[in-house]
Amino acid sequence: MIPAVYFDGRSTRATPVSVWREDAELHWQTADRQRAWHAPLAAFEPSARVIGLPYTLRLHDGAHLQIDHDLLPDDWFPRHHRLERVVDWLERRWPAALAGIAVIVVSMGCLFEFGVPWAADRIATHIPAGLERTMGTQSLTAMEGRLLLPTTLTTTQQAHYQALFRRFVRGVPDLPVVNLRFYKAPAIGANAFAMPGGTVVFTDELAKALPDDEAFIAVIAHELGHQAHHHMLRQVLRGSGVFIVAGMLMGDVTSLGGITAGVPMFLVNAHYTRGFEADADSYAFDALARQGIDPVAFVHAMQALEREHPELKDVEKDMRYVSSHPMTAERIAQADRASQAFRARQPVAQHP
Amino acid sequence: MHDETMASGVYLPEIGSADERSAAHTRQLQFNGNAGDYFRIWIVNVALSLVTLGIYSAWATVRTRRYMYSNTTLAGTPFEYLARPLPILKGRLLTAAIFGAYALGGQFFKPAQALAGLIIAAFMPWMIVKSLMFRARYSSWRGLRFYFTDDFMGAYKWYLGVYFLMGIPFIVMTISAMAGHPIFGGLLALVGFAGLYPWIKGNQQQWMAENHHFGGKTFSFDGDMGRYYAIYGLMLLVAIVWMIPTGGLASTLFPFFKEQMASRPKVPPIGFILGIYACMVPFYLGVWTFIHTRMTNMLYNQSQLGTYRFRSTLAYWPMLAIYLTNGLAVLCTIGLAMPWARIRLARYRAAHLEIIGDGDLNDFVRDALAHGEIGATATEMDSLLGIDIGL
Repeated sequence: MIPAVYFDGRSTRATPVSVWREDAELHWQTADRQRAWHAPLAAFEPSARVIGLPYTLRLHDGAHLQIDHDLLPDDWFPRHHRLERVVDWLERRWPAALAGIAVIVVSMGCLFEFGVPWAADRIATHIPAGLERTMGTQSLTAMEGRLLLPTTLTTTQQAHYQALFRRFVRGVPDLPVVNLRFYKAPAIGANAFAMPGGTVVFTDELAKALPDDEAFIAVIAHELGHQAHHHMLRQVLRGSGVFIVAGMLMGDVTSLGGITAGVPMFLVNAHYTRGFEADADSYAFDALARQGIDPVAFVHAMQALEREHPELKDVEKDMRYVSSHPMTAERIAQADRASQAFRARQPVAQHP
Repeated sequence: MHDETMASGVYLPEIGSADERSAAHTRQLQFNGNAGDYFRIWIVNVALSLVTLGIYSAWATVRTRRYMYSNTTLAGTPFEYLARPLPILKGRLLTAAIFGAYALGGQFFKPAQALAGLIIAAFMPWMIVKSLMFRARYSSWRGLRFYFTDDFMGAYKWYLGVYFLMGIPFIVMTISAMAGHPIFGGLLALVGFAGLYPWIKGNQQQWMAENHHFGGKTFSFDGDMGRYYAIYGLMLLVAIVWMIPTGGLASTLFPFFKEQMASRPKVPPIGFILGIYACMVPFYLGVWTFIHTRMTNMLYNQSQLGTYRFRSTLAYWPMLAIYLTNGLAVLCTIGLAMPWARIRLARYRAAHLEIIGDGDLNDFVRDALAHGEIGATATEMDSLLGIDIGL
């Protein structure tokens, strides 16, 4: 006989009863034996086991028996909630909880390091080129007139750079259709960036800051790396993936909202960008070397950029892990290494 | 919309208030959960959700919510959370799709994002009703379920329509500004705004309370709008008082930032952004907790179910202390203190809610509405409309 509370499902009256099992039937009656009920075990829908919570054994007509957590015999409903039984077993153990923390850390790491990028890149391969171009045109339209003003470079200068660009592009295999545009961008300063769909934006400020044509080509080579690997589209898809995943996690894990959701998203996105930048750098070193240009040109371009943006130096100090680009010093070191490799391959005769 | 943490994740219907003079029988809600158990349940379920790429999260939600509900007892009987995982999973997937469409839409086609925003806004009252219905339907006590009426008209009136009224003060302000009296217009707009907002909030509470039912009875609500004006009036005072520490903090930090800004104007350092947050937190938390505490009390204290009234006695300083320490603990433990935070909030909230009435709480009966005797329609609602949207 097990003490229980019976609710008839028609009112909120609680009736204390004793329950016992006779073969495949449950019987329950009040203490004064005035009222008694019975029903086959199979007619009950028991609730799943959770630490400390009473069980409810529900009947089809809405009535239920409530039995304290520790009092329900194991053999009454051995076949119900098999999955949740395992979960419940885990929930009772501190080692499982500690393992849970490890699992969360590792799976979050894998999710953002491999899962989201993998899924986003798969989707990126299915996005038609037309859509990618629309995306680029749209972002460009949004920036024109506000951040990007008409270029002040002379037509001769423009023609010169366009010719350099076309000649270099011809020598790079497997490129999508690309084009180069100049803008005056006082708010952005010396910079160049790739838009989805093949447009490379070059600011007048950067064109003026670069020491020579080879540095110009080095910057172009880097941007072509972005174009060749569709970095912008992939970044957008990954960013959206992070947004969705973080959103879903926040819905379940915390309700602190903004701060906690924003910071990891920001860090994860910056992490992806850094990966793409390094990728575009090594693409650039290869492309330059293949056309007989010493990757040291890239070093010159970076140094020119640094001169144009002195404030970045300080930022790099306190934003070591946040910055969207790999650190300039690292990139210069990489370029130097590429340059040494390049020189080692050149016949000595070319370097008197 | 329906802040889950408000009722410790436990859906408590909007029940009523204290009748000071009667010495009627009062019953306090009890919360028996403990942080250790809840932590293990929570962490195991979060881990399983991640490993199964979110599929298990619906089961996880049901288990964690059941823990919170069933540990809340009234007159010795626990509340129950009866939702099934599958409808929750469907709701999640739908939310993810909306989320994704919104995030991606903006990248490919800006107007699509604006359109999606408008559509979401237009559907918001509908979603409020659906999610209240879902919560009510799957919350039960002593074998009877709560029920929320599908009053879509009311939802559109109080959660969308009235916000158009709020536009009127701004139009007045614009007209007045054009006529050359910007200060007069601004004051007029402020008065209009102050006159409308408490009235809207009060009516929203009334609508929410009066559409809830339990055990054959409907919650009634004696919405005294004057009290809402008092709350928001006091809020202004609280806000002004909280300006002092916020202002003090900002003025101490300002010279330091000014120096930094002068040295590199283009990129504000991360410390600057954090500093602004730090200045805003006491103000925001202080004001928000005040409104939240007073409005929750108001909701319960003005409600009545049959012969039973309610008394909610949440107090400002203890609530502020709980929110502040919870927030700090969660931040410092990167979220691991979340279960502890929820448990202590639930404990405080339960301890400050009483049900007052001479009855023995046995006089509620099952009614056809709440128990889905509409048959197939109810089942369909589960699968299609009764999804628990977590926006």
